[in-house]
Amino acid sequence: MADLLELEGLARRFGTVAALDDLSFSVPSGEVVGFLGPNGAGKTTTMRAIFGLLELDAGSVRWNGSPIGSTERRRFGYMPEERGLYPSMLVGEQLEYLGRLHGMSAKAASIAALGWLERLEVADRATSKVETLSHGNQQRVQLAAALVHDPELLVLDEPLAGLDPTGIDVIGQVLVEEAHAGRCVLFSSHQLDLVEDLCESVAIIDHGRLVATGGVDELASRGARRVAVRVEGDHEANWARRLSGVSLSEVAGGEARLVLEDATPSDYVLDSARAAGRVTKFAFERRRLSEVFREAVSR
Amino acid sequence: MKPGVVLAVVAAAVVLVRLTLRRRRRLPSPPLGGLRGRWRESDLLGETGLVARREIHERLKSRMFRVVSLLLLVVVAAAVVVPTLTRAKAGPDRVGLVAASPSLRAALQAIAKEAGAEVDLLTEPSLPAARAGLAAGRLDAVVSGRGKILVETPLLPTDTSGLARYVRAVSLSLGVERAYAAAGLTARQAAIVARARALPVESLEAGKAPRTTAESTALIGVILIFVVLTQYLTWTLMGVMEEKASRVVEVLLATVRPLQLLTGKVLGIGTVALAQATALVGVALVLAEAVGSGLVGGTAPLVMVATLVWMVLGYAFYSWLYAAAGSLAERQDQIQSLALPLSAPLIFGYIVCLTGVSSGEPSLLIRVLAYLPPTAPFAMPTLVGFGQASWWQFALSALASLAGTLGVAHLAARIYGAAVLQTGGRVRLRKLLLGSAH
Repeated sequence: MADLLELEGLARRFGTVAALDDLSFSVPSGEVVGFLGPNGAGKTTTMRAIFGLLELDAGSVRWNGSPIGSTERRRFGYMPEERGLYPSMLVGEQLEYLGRLHGMSAKAASIAALGWLERLEVADRATSKVETLSHGNQQRVQLAAALVHDPELLVLDEPLAGLDPTGIDVIGQVLVEEAHAGRCVLFSSHQLDLVEDLCESVAIIDHGRLVATGGVDELASRGARRVAVRVEGDHEANWARRLSGVSLSEVAGGEARLVLEDATPSDYVLDSARAAGRVTKFAFERRRLSEVFREAVSR
Repeated sequence: MKPGVVLAVVAAAVVLVRLTLRRRRRLPSPPLGGLRGRWRESDLLGETGLVARREIHERLKSRMFRVVSLLLLVVVAAAVVVPTLTRAKAGPDRVGLVAASPSLRAALQAIAKEAGAEVDLLTEPSLPAARAGLAAGRLDAVVSGRGKILVETPLLPTDTSGLARYVRAVSLSLGVERAYAAAGLTARQAAIVARARALPVESLEAGKAPRTTAESTALIGVILIFVVLTQYLTWTLMGVMEEKASRVVEVLLATVRPLQLLTGKVLGIGTVALAQATALVGVALVLAEAVGSGLVGGTAPLVMVATLVWMVLGYAFYSWLYAAAGSLAERQDQIQSLALPLSAPLIFGYIVCLTGVSSGEPSLLIRVLAYLPPTAPFAMPTLVGFGQASWWQFALSALASLAGTLGVAHLAARIYGAAVLQTGGRVRLRKLLLGSAH
């Protein structure tokens, strides 16, 4: 049976601020789920709620239909937003220690720690103190700490922040591989292009409420049709400004991006473009995730 | 005194400590496993045991611990050995006699007894020979039957040693005898006058009895408890603060409950503290036996055991409070204002009991403080040192301390759980307990 994390009706207030407001969504196994929202939207609070690090005013977090206890949490992996490792402890010892806290034997934890350090390309730092590592390598070790016990659910708060392209590639690949190996993977990020590349689905929250959720492809193809048109000699896309039932969302490099109302046929747009000059590009486009996000949080 | 044995014991202790605390080599294969296989009991205690074991491992590894341990070892060894060295130096003084009649010899023996001095009277062939013996250090003083007394260096008025007391008494006695003879007293009359004794002077208040060995041990114990508690409670405070500051606590609390984490930390650091204190007491006992110190006689060992018991109880009581205080801070400068109010009862109890031991009589205040958990770790060992605590009083005080510990542990776990994940500045305790902080 596939694993499933379910969040239902989560509510939590801090004084007069509603950090979570009837938040519900689920994270199925086998795919990477992006958890998006502006700063202060409630992402970190949600993640802490999954691990029982704060008390909820209402709602429940369930794993495979059951409430989550300490036994279940041992099978979860967590990478908090504010990275946390013992600065003066050796990398290998630290991972082994964290593995043992999750119920592994000393030997299994040691082997797993070394395995993850190799996979994340920092095995040569196993006997270094954490504080001597670069930011990027500390980030990799932090991810290894979340993975060392082979968790069924992986919750990562901004795992890609501050990484160089190589680090992003390595960690991104690990997340995808883990999801495809049957884990539930939930991660937050403000790097929406990366999320679009890595995630199969997303949950977007704002002011503690869910404002959009679904598959990335599904969300991108939802809403009005979009076309990108380039007409030779009309760099300002003046031809498009005269059309009815069409709005011009962007003109860049002589290319006009148009949003069509439901009743507007695409032939009408193509014919209008041809009438204006030689058409060198006419392509249907889907929304970028960044557009989906901006639209969702501006409601 | 047996200097060879002393040196051997000190050397063995130092080597033992060095071996125990030696930094473990980091072997290339296996690269990990630094925490493995030492204390299997941690498996029985689950996550709490693992947390405690990490604390023990990290503390033993630290340079600070090794330096402090060696320093304390040296101080304790000195406290045991130095008094015996001083005592040995004050052994029988050798007094050379020149042209001394049997009656003079008898009189000199009597004077030694009167003055409370231990002297060996050695017959010398001549005054020059005796003078040479004095210069060479073979003799400590010379008395001639022809009315001459010699010492190597002038006697200072402040010198209260046995030899000084004896020489002064001989000088006075022989001078008086000479005066009797000059006054024309018969031998019988002179003897009657010589037996004259000063009239006793009575005081309204009783005099202070000299400190017993048990009281001295209590004094050392109270100081040791203060030093160990101060050191390890500070470690507890800093340890919790550092876990919060480095944010590792959020990773840990995702798996371990706050009470488990807190208990593991308190247990781990407490184990190191107890091990260090036990080692110090053990070394003190072995050294005391080797050098014939009074520490192993009478009720002194009982006072040592009481010291260890109250060190544990004191740590147990205070460690929770210090750990909770550590969870309120995330910077060094915030620690100062948190530690001050916590250490106030600790310092108060320490000073009151230190003064009590020095005055030679436990005050009523000490008798009251012995039943209050914050001050009992100092007051109860003090009463034991004075022999003024029966077993049921000891047990009652220990029970009160344990009950107090349960209370503060409950409070500390509540504070810790609520405060340790709050970042961005010092958490205010009042807001926290009122539940309005976030």
